[in-house]
Formats: sequence, structure tokens, C-alpha cells
Amino acid sequence: MAYKFKRKGAHLNFAVEVKGLRKTFVSGWFRKRRVEALKGVNLTVPAGVFWGILGPNGAGKTTFLSILSNLLTPEEGEVRILGRDVRTDSMELRKRINLSSGHANFLWSLTVRENLEYYSMLYGLSKTDRQKKLEELFHLFDLSPFARVRFEELSTGTKQKLSLAKALLNDPELLLLDEPTVGLDPDVARRIRELVQKLHREKGTTILMTTHNMKEAEALCEEVAFIRGGMIKARGRPQDLKRDLRLGDTIVVTFRGTLPSSSLEGLDGIYGLQCSDSSCRILVDDHRERLSQILDRLTGAKVAIHDLRIQESDLEDVFIAFAQ
Amino acid sequence: MKMYSSLLPNELIKTRAFIYKNWTMAKRNVFTLFEILFWPVVGFFSVGLLTEFAGMQPQMKAFVLVGVVSMGTIQVCQLDVAYVLLYDVWSKAVKHGFIAPVGIRHLLLGSLVVGMARGAAVFFLLMGASYAFFQFDFRVPGIGHLALFLFGLFLCASTVGILVCILVLIFGNRADVAAWSLVSLMLLVCGIYYPVSILPEWVVPVAALIPLTYMLEYFRQFYGFQPIFSHPLAKGYMLLLLYLLLEISFMKVALKRAKKSGLLLRLSE
Repeated sequence: MAYKFKRKGAHLNFAVEVKGLRKTFVSGWFRKRRVEALKGVNLTVPAGVFWGILGPNGAGKTTFLSILSNLLTPEEGEVRILGRDVRTDSMELRKRINLSSGHANFLWSLTVRENLEYYSMLYGLSKTDRQKKLEELFHLFDLSPFARVRFEELSTGTKQKLSLAKALLNDPELLLLDEPTVGLDPDVARRIRELVQKLHREKGTTILMTTHNMKEAEALCEEVAFIRGGMIKARGRPQDLKRDLRLGDTIVVTFRGTLPSSSLEGLDGIYGLQCSDSSCRILVDDHRERLSQILDRLTGAKVAIHDLRIQESDLEDVFIAFAQ
Repeated sequence: MKMYSSLLPNELIKTRAFIYKNWTMAKRNVFTLFEILFWPVVGFFSVGLLTEFAGMQPQMKAFVLVGVVSMGTIQVCQLDVAYVLLYDVWSKAVKHGFIAPVGIRHLLLGSLVVGMARGAAVFFLLMGASYAFFQFDFRVPGIGHLALFLFGLFLCASTVGILVCILVLIFGNRADVAAWSLVSLMLLVCGIYYPVSILPEWVVPVAALIPLTYMLEYFRQFYGFQPIFSHPLAKGYMLLLLYLLLEISFMKVALKRAKKSGLLLRLSE
């Protein structure tokens, strides 16, 4: 397949194509223990998108990302990254991808600048390119005040910024983020999210991110895949998944007066209805589309509304639905 | 940005990355200064003074001092080769190195350069001390023979260092103890303090498999010791070449195995 990568408006194709991917870990020298981590994963990720891999602990997210980043060899199945086979073109691929993971570790007694110098040399950057790149990354991640600070002395947030900076040294076409905000303070996590989003927006980098944080996935990812027990259980845009699972939004109305039981019957997009003497809980597919009709019916029934609340379902609900 | 210009500079930059890492890490750690100065110097003087106490003849003293100086040089040089992986293992940063587009050749060559620099520092320091304190002159065989001997020592050290890396890629960080113990095992069989000829008969074939045995035999012949093996230099270098080729292949296999078993990831956790 002729591969064309979408970058700055170029032709769109797949950044990741995975078919029938299986991975089993075997441990123990004498008494072998086998753990099947991936059980036939199929996934295609278009180039230029921000994609999320979600799933509970031990679902196989990190294993999946590690295979994509060439740190693990697949046991079975086909894995193509940027149009190339991970088994046969690994050296070429490693020039074009990079990985940043949560709880990042780097050479502990090197400073931030020294660590970035070292890793940029691993990517073959010349001295001039290194200087230019490092300045750009120092600026982007506000790392200049820490340039001479040793890795072991950095805060968790700064370590994470360094991890992201390292992952951008080679201007990767595919950036793999393994729980990039895990263990960070909320303000630092938000800053990291903003930086990643900016990078995706401005450079068109394909980003594949694993996360436990559903709010984060919803805010960043154009599409997500749910992985559980080593298999992809669902994939799609967050709003489509919510619709498919009929999770919808809940509208809670409190009123004064008597509401005839038939008042809300026959409305489109209603998944469920629970009414008592003074309140109703209405589960709808999308509150933005259904609210006005519901209010019309309530007003028509001559009840006085004195409170109205909307509870939007989010990816967390989708996550729970898939995890159960 | 023009990142991957031409092949040769690219290769050199990647090799230089490992020189940079080992050198900078070495500069940061007081412990590495001990490795260069403390242990080799302590070992050298302990053995040197023992030769004085035992009233050894100059020829016997030469035998022992060549052994002890070689040992110190190899120990320091092989540590650098092993450290190229161990620094990452101890920092739990192994995956970041192996996700980058570098090959084993960059890693080994870069670390060997630093190992040779530090090994040469130890060798010349102890060579000077031998002359100053024990009136033993390493320059007797001539610069050419000295250079061949020293380079042989560096290659011996690299075979040990690569073996440590292979063991770490197979057994994980528990194998780091090999970085200090393998050389001590060599001490027993390859004639550091005594000639191979006094070893039990069944041990001599083992000694014959170790290139250092030949290097020591080669250098000591200039001080009047008849080698028990013929053509020691040629045999030593041939064995070194063979072992290096085998070890590089084994290291590639060990790396593949570590990627298959997940050890590479576990070394980063």
C-alpha cells in the first residue's frame, strides 16, 4: 500500500494498522507461567488524529503501546506503523515515532539539558540542530529554569515535561503517550494536556494516548478504543459510543402541580422516564436536542417548574459500561 | 529541519551519544573516580609491596607487576562497556534508549571509547608508579609491542563488558554483579599472578580459551619468560575477534529475546 501521511493538509491514510495482534508473556525458567495480554487486537488509526486507548488496569493498553513503539515484539498478527511493518522496518520506524510515558525515568544524575542532549544525539541530530531543537523545547515546556538541574532533583511534573520534550526531539509523525498525566497535580496535568493539544493542533502529529482519566480522554481524543481483557471492545467518537450504549443525558425536573402521566409520552429520543409527585428524571439521547420539547410539554401541562438540572453522561459512564 | 543528513556523520553522532553519556555519568559520580584511582592503586601497591617483602628477583617482580597492572586496566575498561547498559538499568530508563534508532554497534563502540580512555589513564598511571616505586619499566618491549599489548587488553575488557550486557539482557538487573565478578574469575585461570603452567592440568585448556592469557604471555616474553603457547599475540587477537563477533551476535539475540519476553520493559519499571 502506498503510504501517504497526513501532515499539514497532505493526504489522509492510516498511521497505525493492526490486525489479529496477539501477545502472551511467558515467565519462569522451569515452571512456565503464561499471561495472555493481547488476544487478537484489530485497530486502524487514521493519520493526523488524536486517538485514545482506554481500559481498566491490566487490560493490555501498555502492552499494545509497547508493541507499537518496538519495545515488545508481537507474537502473532500484523502491525504496520506509518505504512511500515514493525518487525522488518523497525530501525526506519524508530526515526519517525517516539514515546512518552507517565512516571518517566531518565538518567538520574544527568541534568535536564544533558538528558536532552544525549537523547537528541541518539536521533542523529547535528550540533546545530540539537541547539535549535533544545531551545525550542525548553521554551515550549518552560524547562529553561531547570536546564542545569539533575533529573533526580526534579518534581514529578517537571520530569513529565522532560519526558514529553524528549518525545518531541525527532519531530515524530506518531507520538505515543502512555498515561502522560498519571500522578500529576491537577494544574500540572492541565498544562500537559494543553501542550499536547497544541502540538496536535499545530503540527498535525498523530497521537495515540492511553489514559485512565476519562475526562482527559473526552477533552483530547477525537476517537477512542476501549480495550479489556486484551481485546478491543468498542471504538469510535465519544458521543457515538454514548449513543450506541444508550447512556444519554439525564434531565431532572422539579415542579409544583400535577403532571399527567401521559404528558411526556411520544417524544423522540427518550430512553427512560421516572416520575414522582413533584419531580421527573428523564433519560434522553441528547439533552441539547430534546430539552425544548420537554419544556413545551411541561408548560403545556400547566406545572410550575422550579428547578431543572442536566446530568450529561461522559466517557466515564462508557468506561464503566464496558468495564462491567 | 535537516536531521538525518548523511550516513557517516549520523553514525558518528549516535556513537558519540554513548561517549557523552558514559563520560558525563562518570564525571558526576565520585565512585567512578574510585574505580580509576582507588582500587587499581591499592591493588597495585599491595602486590608491589608484597614483591618487595618476598624479596622477588626483578624478573619475578616484572611478571607479577605486568599481571596486576593489566588486571586494573581491564577492570576499569570493561566496567565502562558494561555501564553503557547498567546506567540505563539503574536509572530505569532502558526503554528510552532502545526506542531510538540506534544499533548495538553505536552502544558498544561509544562505551569502548570511554573505557579505553579510562583504561589508558589507569594503565599509564600504574606504569609510571611501577617505574617510580618498583623500578620496573614497561617500555622495555618498545612502543609498538606496548601498544599492541594495551590494545589487546582493551579488547579483552570489551569482551567482558559485552558479556555483562548480555547477561543483563537475559537475567535482568540481578546480573549486574557480573560486572565486578567476571574479571575476578579470569584472575584465577589466565595467569595474572602466576604462570598458567602451574595450574592443574585440566584448567590449562580453560586458560587457553581466554585471550588475556595470550596477551600476558606475549608481553612477558620480552622480560624473559618463555610462552607456553606458540604465537600468543596472533592467537590472542584471533580469539578476541572471534569472541567479539560471537558476543555481538549473542547480544542481538539477547535483545530480541528481551523484547519478546518483556524484560526490556521490566527493566524500565
